[in-house]
Amino acid sequence: MPDFIEQLRRRLGELGCPRMQVRRLVQEVADHHEDLKQAALSEGLSEANAEAHANAQLGDPVALAEHLMVMLLRSSWWGRHSLIAFCLLPLLAVPVLWTLFLMLGLSLEFALGFGWDWKKLHVATDNPVAFHHLVLALHGADYVAIALVTLLFCWLARRSGVSLKWMVIACAICSLYASFVYARIWPHNFEVGITWTPQWIEAAIPLLIAGAIYAFRRRMMQRFQEKVAVKPPAPLREEWNLCRHPIANAKARLWTETGGL
Amino acid sequence: MKKTNPSFLNGVPELLVLRLLPRREMYGYQIVEEIRTQTGETLSFGEGCIYPYLHYLEAEKQVSSQRREVEGRNRNYYKLTARGRKRLEALTTEWKRVTTGVSLLMEEQNA
Repeated sequence: MPDFIEQLRRRLGELGCPRMQVRRLVQEVADHHEDLKQAALSEGLSEANAEAHANAQLGDPVALAEHLMVMLLRSSWWGRHSLIAFCLLPLLAVPVLWTLFLMLGLSLEFALGFGWDWKKLHVATDNPVAFHHLVLALHGADYVAIALVTLLFCWLARRSGVSLKWMVIACAICSLYASFVYARIWPHNFEVGITWTPQWIEAAIPLLIAGAIYAFRRRMMQRFQEKVAVKPPAPLREEWNLCRHPIANAKARLWTETGGL
Repeated sequence: MKKTNPSFLNGVPELLVLRLLPRREMYGYQIVEEIRTQTGETLSFGEGCIYPYLHYLEAEKQVSSQRREVEGRNRNYYKLTARGRKRLEALTTEWKRVTTGVSLLMEEQNA
């Protein structure tokens, strides 16, 4: 049983199943396995045969993990409509969030420097310091919106358990959007449009985030695989420990033989 | 991990699970066994495959779960919520409507 459960856990992790889901599914499948075993025991099967029967009923742990994952994906909107969720929604989310942050930045700036009088906008744009603040708010909103949308879609991809491909696609779309859609401000003039000269800094933000998350996930996956690696059974593990720590084991044996003196 | 149920049964598992739960709280293995025995082994969930389904129903707030110890065993027990009860009523009505329609057609074909 431990092997069955460990293989199930490992495969679910490899498939990108969210950790909370892995924990819960594994726990419930382990309970289910125990119930199948108890039912077989009550029918008069021996311990070994009951274990084999339960394993046979549950089938191949790798196939079961893959089937569970398919069902998980089907049960979430993000899994069923990945194309809309990770290709179209980022394109809508970036301008919405950008506008929101720009409004927030401008409101804050006006509230602090000019009060809530919007008629004073021309005064602000004539003032070099205030104009510099406006430019900062505009670029800040740009960077923050791009970074937040990228992070949001990476989190959604992770949470819904879709493959890494969709996370990368969402990041690439954010990057493309950021490279070609621009917003500029001049005194008494504001412009939003599409440019064929890529904006490299904005474009790099989603790619850097995607790279960092990819590296983090790979590292976590390696740790996870090391953690759930199938260990040898108990007697073998003891021998393995003896081989690995001969001096420590010799000391321990000596300690036992001499009664701790 | 049997996949024996035909594809036109989409939505039926939801009805079966919801139909079983008003009577008492049940855990995964119990639900699978009950479906198997009560349908005369005509319909069955693959062993272990019911859990993502139950999690989905829980996310939809149609069932709620609680981990409890009963007779020395810790298990997740699922029970129907008020929302689940409403959904069950809607699904039952829909099911009756569909089966009546299909039966009428089948009878006409046989006549």
